[in-house]
Amino acid sequence: MRYRASLAGQVPLLTLLLLCAITALLTDRFLSPLNLTNILVQSSIMAVIAMGMTFVIVGGGFDLSVGSTAALAGCVASMVMLDAGIAAGAIAGVLAGALVGLANGLIIAFLNVNPFITTLGTMVLVRGAVFLITGGAPVSGETGLPGGFVALGSGRLLGIHYLVWIPAVLLALLSFVLHATPYGRRVYATGGGREAAYLSGVRVRRVIASTYIWCGALAGVAGVMLAARLQSGQPTAGEFYELTAIAAVVLGGASLQGGEGTLYKSVIGVLIMVVLGNALNLLNVDSYWQRVAVGAVIIAAAAAERLRSYRR
Amino acid sequence: MNFPALRADGISKRFDATVALDNVDFEVRPGEIHAVVGENGAGKSTLIRILGGAHRPDRGSISVAGTRRHFASPRDAIAAGIVTIPQELRLVPALSVAENMALGDLPVRRMGPFAVIDRRSMREEARSVLALLDFEADPDRRVASLSFAERQLVAIAKGLRRDCRVFILDEPTAALEKREVERLFAVLARMQARATAIVYITHRLDEVVAIADRCTVLRDGRVAAVSTRGAFSVADLIGAMTGGVAEPAPSASAARGEVLLSARPDGATAVALRAGEVVGLAGLLGSGTERMLRRLFGADEPTLVTVGGRGRRLQHPADAVAAGIGMVPGERGLGLVLDQSVRDNILLPNLDVISRFGWLDRSAGDPMVAALMELVDIRPRQPRLKARALSGGNQQKVILAKWLARGIAVLLLDDPTQGIDVAAKAQIHALICDLAARNRAALIKSSDVGELALLCTSVLAVRRDRIIASLDRAHGIDESSLQAAIGG
Repeated sequence: MRYRASLAGQVPLLTLLLLCAITALLTDRFLSPLNLTNILVQSSIMAVIAMGMTFVIVGGGFDLSVGSTAALAGCVASMVMLDAGIAAGAIAGVLAGALVGLANGLIIAFLNVNPFITTLGTMVLVRGAVFLITGGAPVSGETGLPGGFVALGSGRLLGIHYLVWIPAVLLALLSFVLHATPYGRRVYATGGGREAAYLSGVRVRRVIASTYIWCGALAGVAGVMLAARLQSGQPTAGEFYELTAIAAVVLGGASLQGGEGTLYKSVIGVLIMVVLGNALNLLNVDSYWQRVAVGAVIIAAAAAERLRSYRR
Repeated sequence: MNFPALRADGISKRFDATVALDNVDFEVRPGEIHAVVGENGAGKSTLIRILGGAHRPDRGSISVAGTRRHFASPRDAIAAGIVTIPQELRLVPALSVAENMALGDLPVRRMGPFAVIDRRSMREEARSVLALLDFEADPDRRVASLSFAERQLVAIAKGLRRDCRVFILDEPTAALEKREVERLFAVLARMQARATAIVYITHRLDEVVAIADRCTVLRDGRVAAVSTRGAFSVADLIGAMTGGVAEPAPSASAARGEVLLSARPDGATAVALRAGEVVGLAGLLGSGTERMLRRLFGADEPTLVTVGGRGRRLQHPADAVAAGIGMVPGERGLGLVLDQSVRDNILLPNLDVISRFGWLDRSAGDPMVAALMELVDIRPRQPRLKARALSGGNQQKVILAKWLARGIAVLLLDDPTQGIDVAAKAQIHALICDLAARNRAALIKSSDVGELALLCTSVLAVRRDRIIASLDRAHGIDESSLQAAIGG
């Protein structure tokens, strides 16, 4: 009984391993060090966004604005960096993201506006703002972004890309926040039963607002990483990131009803999405069919989850 | 041969660990009023949900006018002529009286290729059915603007409109005043004369004696007695409901300590809760007692209270918790995060107590949870079990444990024993009295005035959002005087 329960909790990990095993059998290029490194680097930015999305979804909400927020953060970071240095730029980018999250959180938690509508609004609004501040052109200055920053997008530490270190460190830190602090338990309680949490003395509005701040700040981190990788602030960057991130979090077993989900499984969800895309590429599947396959996988995962909870 | 209008044979139903009904037989004949009584948790609601098609029985069969039927949904039951008026009325407030009555079966007329609602015939039909009930409401009025009693008449009219063979009413008088109850009885008598079978669930035994032709008493999911008119009295029914073992009266402590909490629950009348006191809030459904409890907990709107001699402004339940006030809400779903473990639920209001420098000290939480599960007797003793998997009584004990863990001074309880079995009910009563004995105070709202008469040192009677009287144990608290005070 206990064994079965723990196995059921590892469905995302098992799915990922199965997917890797099948792909490895079909093509020997999959397990090459270069390809595996590629998968990790490709996953890194989305993993950071998905972690922020996990905070929001566990808290019972939803955030469509992360893609636009990442673009904003990348452009703000690039612009500030050209004048004030790498550190100031990176901090400004993350702050810009956190501010978008704060706005989302205040509107959703304190004005009781539906999260879908609110973040749909900020998604469009922030994208517009990015075009306004950049004039629609990539931000890289006349001589390009500082060399140290560009190195962040391609350099390695102990043989592993900086871009991969960032989500790894964040995963450890944020898992601690979500699982080992009173705050984290309040996020789960609020998402699992808002009224019950409220009547237990949890300040649910603040908790909900805070999840959007996490999400915005992490989208900001992702945007800065993206700018480093693209060697410029791209106003069009991050389109459809929100959909991929939500799909990854759901693949990781979180419930859109709130109260369920873990950061590490959301990261697994991101890896599933990236490995699937990678496998279809290696197998030379037509890119139009790839989209069809990814969409089908998302629906299948969500339907499987519903069936499981029906049986309960 | 004359078949019963509705007959159930050997019905059994379990929910997780709880046996709700165990081999129950029940029948009602055309033109008969058959009352169903029993304590909270005896299985009344489950029985009528099965008869109305909302639940499927695990075992047993249902027949309508002699033909065996399987109800997969309430729709099937309605098609078979079984109409249920639930306690919480299912009306759409934004629609008109006539629209609500016709919903699900709207009259249409052709307009070229389109079918459109025939408003005139809908209105006419509503008017004629409402006239049967002596209820002259404008069919175009929005249901939102009606009083509770008027809405109930609309719900009944909606049932009458259909070809209705069996009419099931679940505690229809819980929110009604005396005059409205009499009107309802007149309506039932008229339906009876038209050979409609009526199943009448109630808490009020004097009503049973007044109108029922037959009465089935449920106890712990089984039929404890069935008797016909003239063969039952209120005393017999109580005996059958409780199985003859009356709960020992908890010893309400006479000594009263210092004032722990003073406030104005209705915004006007000052109320003081003293150490060692259990104070009751009595009122009909919709009289505002629930709102008063929420107000004292700082929920929904800011409130001024005095706790331990200090004035405080409660702007949020968190302020109330910090001031030493706990609350057991009326719906258990509101007191628990159902998909979280018993452990997490107990620790939720106590996270600050067991954390150090911003992180949770799990080694402090586990013994706390274990001790509380032992103290309030939560079964099974599995802290990792999801709260959803527990029986109603055990869920309620988890909610109590949450607050006992904090050592709160004042506990507010909203119908804490509604829908739980007799044994768990006695345990919860004992825990409340124990709390009072340890110089804490409790304010308890209950739909069961008998419970208040049993537990409380004094009872506040509430009518239309105002505390209108206070009854003291020293002057005697009994059910009938309470019932009279709240207008029932």
